[in-house]
Amino acid sequence: MTAARDNPDQLGAGIVAFCRFAHSHGLSNGMQQTLTALQAANAVGVADWHRFSLALRAALCSSQEDWERFDGLFAVFWTAEQSQPDSRNHQSPLRCVTNLESSASRLLIHADGGNASPAEHEAKLVAGASPHRRLRKVDFSEAPPTDLAALEQLSLRLLRRMSIRLSRRTKIEARSDYVDLRRSIRRSIAQGGDPIKLAWKGRRREKKRLVIFLDISGSMNLYSLFLLRFAYVLQKHFQRVHTFLFSTGVVEVSDLLRTRKLSEALSGLSQRAPEWSGGTRIGGSLRELNQHAGRRVLTSSSFFIILSDGWDTGEPQLLAQELQRTRARVRKLLWLNPLLGLKDYQPITRGMRAALPYVDIFAPAHNLESLLALERYL
Amino acid sequence: MMSPSHDSASAGEIKEIDGLVQEFARLGYVADIALATAIYLGTHLHKPILIEGHAGLGKTEVAKVLAEALGTRLIRLQCYEGLDISSAVYEWNYQKQLLAIKLQEKSERTIAEKEKQIFSREFLLQRPLLLSIMEENAPPVLLIDEIDRADEAFEAFLLELLSDFQITVPELGTIGAKHTPHVILTSNRSRELSDALKRRCLYHWIDYPSFEKEMKIVRARLPGVEEALSRQVVRLVQAVRRLDLAKPPGVSETLDCVQAAMALGKNRLDLETVEQTLGCLVKTMEDGAALKASGIESLLSQSN
Repeated sequence: MTAARDNPDQLGAGIVAFCRFAHSHGLSNGMQQTLTALQAANAVGVADWHRFSLALRAALCSSQEDWERFDGLFAVFWTAEQSQPDSRNHQSPLRCVTNLESSASRLLIHADGGNASPAEHEAKLVAGASPHRRLRKVDFSEAPPTDLAALEQLSLRLLRRMSIRLSRRTKIEARSDYVDLRRSIRRSIAQGGDPIKLAWKGRRREKKRLVIFLDISGSMNLYSLFLLRFAYVLQKHFQRVHTFLFSTGVVEVSDLLRTRKLSEALSGLSQRAPEWSGGTRIGGSLRELNQHAGRRVLTSSSFFIILSDGWDTGEPQLLAQELQRTRARVRKLLWLNPLLGLKDYQPITRGMRAALPYVDIFAPAHNLESLLALERYL
Repeated sequence: MMSPSHDSASAGEIKEIDGLVQEFARLGYVADIALATAIYLGTHLHKPILIEGHAGLGKTEVAKVLAEALGTRLIRLQCYEGLDISSAVYEWNYQKQLLAIKLQEKSERTIAEKEKQIFSREFLLQRPLLLSIMEENAPPVLLIDEIDRADEAFEAFLLELLSDFQITVPELGTIGAKHTPHVILTSNRSRELSDALKRRCLYHWIDYPSFEKEMKIVRARLPGVEEALSRQVVRLVQAVRRLDLAKPPGVSETLDCVQAAMALGKNRLDLETVEQTLGCLVKTMEDGAALKASGIESLLSQSN
């Protein structure tokens, strides 16, 4: 590759090849940025190799993660000696190990998508009318390990689209609330300046805020990882999303979920979530939330989403009381219960019964389809 | 917004990247070669520069110093949620228009003529984006601060503007830029910006500085300070950043801390001073508790 430095035509081709190389190793650059890279190289020149790399970095990166990856990629591509294949540059199999709570309930999901043998691949494709349709309906707690990777990818894709739709939706609602001064004035010129005929403008958009309260205790074990992905995707596309995990206490994880890669978010979570042992205390956790974060996150434009199966070892009265307090401060309160996906489920536990009067929307959250159905409520 | 044009050697032309580093240093900003390269490319290729990083690391200052270095005007648009065209681009001066209509009531002009007069430049309130296009003398520096606080719709509008650099006011027609502004966008990464915007811009990530760099910054911004005090504060702040705080201190916090110590008449940090000036370093109750829990004494002893 050092020969390329001395030959301008080869250099141009080399830069284009490098852009492609970078893209295949995780950078999100496209055609426009390849052109920018060529222009940048032209402006800076290659006499100073370090400056050349800086120029390419400015052109091709668009985030902190790109930035940190760049130097390694640059070194690998442009040096004459072939370094050992850098393990960072290979997409490691998606592996999420999250140790969220006490030893009684550890959750391990391995999704080794890359290791499926060809025979298994085919088996997956042949079974079922449409694999997507099947994946949307499969209960999270029953999904076979071979499906997990595909389910994860499908979830992320569909939830992402839903988030984007939700974040744009407020523009379409048109209600006349606001006087349009400019048009009113124009109309008033004929009347000598008296605004007799008013013109109206659409309503000023009000930004929704989402607060997600996710139960990660033992009984929610099999669901919480998928529901975390739900929170992760929403977090990325809305500015105002706050995510809290609870079992016997509460911890806020909004900032952790804002990273670009899901695997980073999950490893960060395993470090932050404390060791919680003992039974779930929904009411107590809710009280903690109301007290410490209530002023900050519970506003009149908030949608409060509790994701829990309602199994509670605390006092139902406490739960009712705290839920009432929360409900009074937010626009809508949604309780998403994975058990609702089961046929014949009736909310007979004391906790659930105590809570229901304060819940606006009681909906299932046991599979991908149920999560996507939430779009119409939000 | 300032327009001093003093005797900086390169009035509007940045030839050497090193020269840029030196010029910035002269104006009190410690820039590394990477940042200078990005600025050089931005000004030469006429591409906007997106600067991302945590709070308090000097992202906004880059634009201010660049404007000074180039001897042009700095035009600043502070973004926030709900920012829209009337606050960012232009708005009609409704009160003035209503008055003018009243005054014209008895005049002989036709309605069309009156309308034309009411909707003329005299009645146009020019906000930052329009101002940046209408700059007469030299390309200004347009700082779009905290673009992550604005919403996607505004980003889409901005993207159009960054391609054409023209604004259409229905009553006045299309106004094109006489001098294409140098655009710098900053973001605190509170949300992902749209791909289209990111692809349009050159990128620079400002990270927490190394010890040496932070010392340089303190020396440049607070020239009179004793070296020993600066070293102590910088080491302390660097140690505090290694704790997992919700809002780690940035460089502005370091400078605040040094100035606070000086204001208290201390030339060395001790436990008492740190406790008194805790608000300089940490910005939330939880962080304050976390800092105390990890032992201010031990952090201080590390910094001696």
